[in-house]
Amino acid sequence: MSVFDKFLAGFSFRGSTPDYAPGDALEVMVTDVEDDGGVGDGTAIARIGDSTLRIEGAPADAVNTRVVVDVDSWDETEHRGVGTYRETVGESAF
Amino acid sequence: MTDTREAAPPAADGGEPPDGSEFGVGDESGDGPRIEFRGGKWASTVPLVFFIVWAIFQSGVLGIGDTNGLVVGALIGTTLGMFLVRGDWKAYADTIFEGMTQRVAATAIVAWLWAGMFAETLQVGGFVEGLIFAADALNVGAATFPAAAFVLCGLLATGIGTGYGATVAFVTLFFPAGVLVGANPVLLFAAILSGAVFGDNLAPVSDTTIVSAVTQDADIGGVVASRFKYAIAAAIPAFAAYLIAGSVMSGVSLEGSAALRESANALGLVHLLSMGVVILTAVAGRHIVEAISWGLIVAVVFNLLFGLSSASDIVAFTVTESGAFTGLPVVTVGEAAGVGGSLYSGAVGFFPLIVLTLLIVAMAQVMIRGGGFEAIQEFLLNRVATTVRRAELTMVLGTATINGMITINTAAEIAIAPYIARIGEKFNINGYRRANILDANTSALGYIFPWAGGVLVGYQVMVGPDGLGAEYGTDAMVVNPIEVVPYVFHGWFLVGIFVLAAITGFGREYIPDRASEEVSRA
Repeated sequence: MSVFDKFLAGFSFRGSTPDYAPGDALEVMVTDVEDDGGVGDGTAIARIGDSTLRIEGAPADAVNTRVVVDVDSWDETEHRGVGTYRETVGESAF
Repeated sequence: MTDTREAAPPAADGGEPPDGSEFGVGDESGDGPRIEFRGGKWASTVPLVFFIVWAIFQSGVLGIGDTNGLVVGALIGTTLGMFLVRGDWKAYADTIFEGMTQRVAATAIVAWLWAGMFAETLQVGGFVEGLIFAADALNVGAATFPAAAFVLCGLLATGIGTGYGATVAFVTLFFPAGVLVGANPVLLFAAILSGAVFGDNLAPVSDTTIVSAVTQDADIGGVVASRFKYAIAAAIPAFAAYLIAGSVMSGVSLEGSAALRESANALGLVHLLSMGVVILTAVAGRHIVEAISWGLIVAVVFNLLFGLSSASDIVAFTVTESGAFTGLPVVTVGEAAGVGGSLYSGAVGFFPLIVLTLLIVAMAQVMIRGGGFEAIQEFLLNRVATTVRRAELTMVLGTATINGMITINTAAEIAIAPYIARIGEKFNINGYRRANILDANTSALGYIFPWAGGVLVGYQVMVGPDGLGAEYGTDAMVVNPIEVVPYVFHGWFLVGIFVLAAITGFGREYIPDRASEEVSRA
């Protein structure tokens, strides 16, 4: 990113429910696990704004880690999607 | 809107980011020992709560803006917490060490030391006098003086990174000159404070900028670039407001523009280049230590080349008796032996804040190991910050509230930073955005209320036997801090813009949008 682009980045009104498309590779913070009624560990969830991405194949201790996810499907009406865990790249700032 | 990304992941995926585990703060579930408190997990908040109450009493109620006083409050609070621990107190003592050795504290400390040296070198190099020359050359009159003070103090504060330092310099030199040419004293003081807010918020060498970036996993240069839009959006209407108010609010009729010219020095303006070197190299992605070092070298060369300061103004060894080395330009003979100069005083000036920071992060670590941090976080996430808009509003108002209470704004910022990080991350809000929310309110609120540190340091210059009031023999040189509250336009506009930004989504970025450069470099 050029110096000029850094000044212009984010210069827009951004909605609460960002949408993505199949094929996108996202780096996200895993924010929660899906409630599965106590059956298992639950699927990892990344809440991006008020949108939700289910992450399949994530490690059991993925919450509060940064992971790269390949988006497999996305519903722009519900602002929900499903993706596949690729790798862990970091953790929470705190 | 539809957000799409290319198949390639963001640049961050190649390395290990400077994450919370390195800082140690975030690992409440992890490897560190848990501390059991009498009274449950909420008792782990006692050290920090005691410190906050002390800070409010000292600075808010008594109006004492002394960082060393806060250090004592933090020490007592930390000691009190130990008596509430069940079982072995060693775990508590170990947690203090664990907190103090976090990377977040070390990073800020290193940046402050360099920033302090740079700022003081600009000061001794006549940067303020250069700005006064600019005001004189532009033929600034009574009505336009506050607007000019806002811009020029903003420039100085952006250069030296300390709003407190800029406030002291401008109240000492610029304020009396403005009052003498007929500017309204209240408006002029408020305009100086607004300039300090601008610089504190935007400067890459500002202590609050540094804390906001390192606590949110963002690079300092990128943070400065990303907050430019908010700073300008507040500064333009603030400048207009000072022009309008300056023409409406009259001052006292004293004739003294000569006082302005006496201290003017055009050469001091070369430090706009020193400042530019730091800003551009930082924004270009160089490490802040490298960026400030280059700026410092340029500033020292300018000082010596143009005779703006002597070598001993920058580094001075004072000895009590003449000897073999007293011929050197940096060795002088004085009554008491010691080391001085801008590099010395600039770095040493940050020592109290450094000690305080170490204690605050230690108290925060006690809260984390005792479960108090998690309890507060869960309350905020489950009851208050339930949508991204509410989360951002919680971050804005929470930061504003804590900064409204604790007048040493950097201390307040460090205390609230972990919550901003965790709440923001729960909605995948980008580190740049989190850093901007954190710092805008920290900078603004530090210069608005009568008990705010920035207001107090300026007021101290006006009062007392050596103050401006006594020096000029007129009450017009002393402004009641309560009167300036409504006129710190840039501060108010900055808070207002962030409330609007949280509601409308202006400037909002999510973590998938882009990664911090420091992360990608790691």
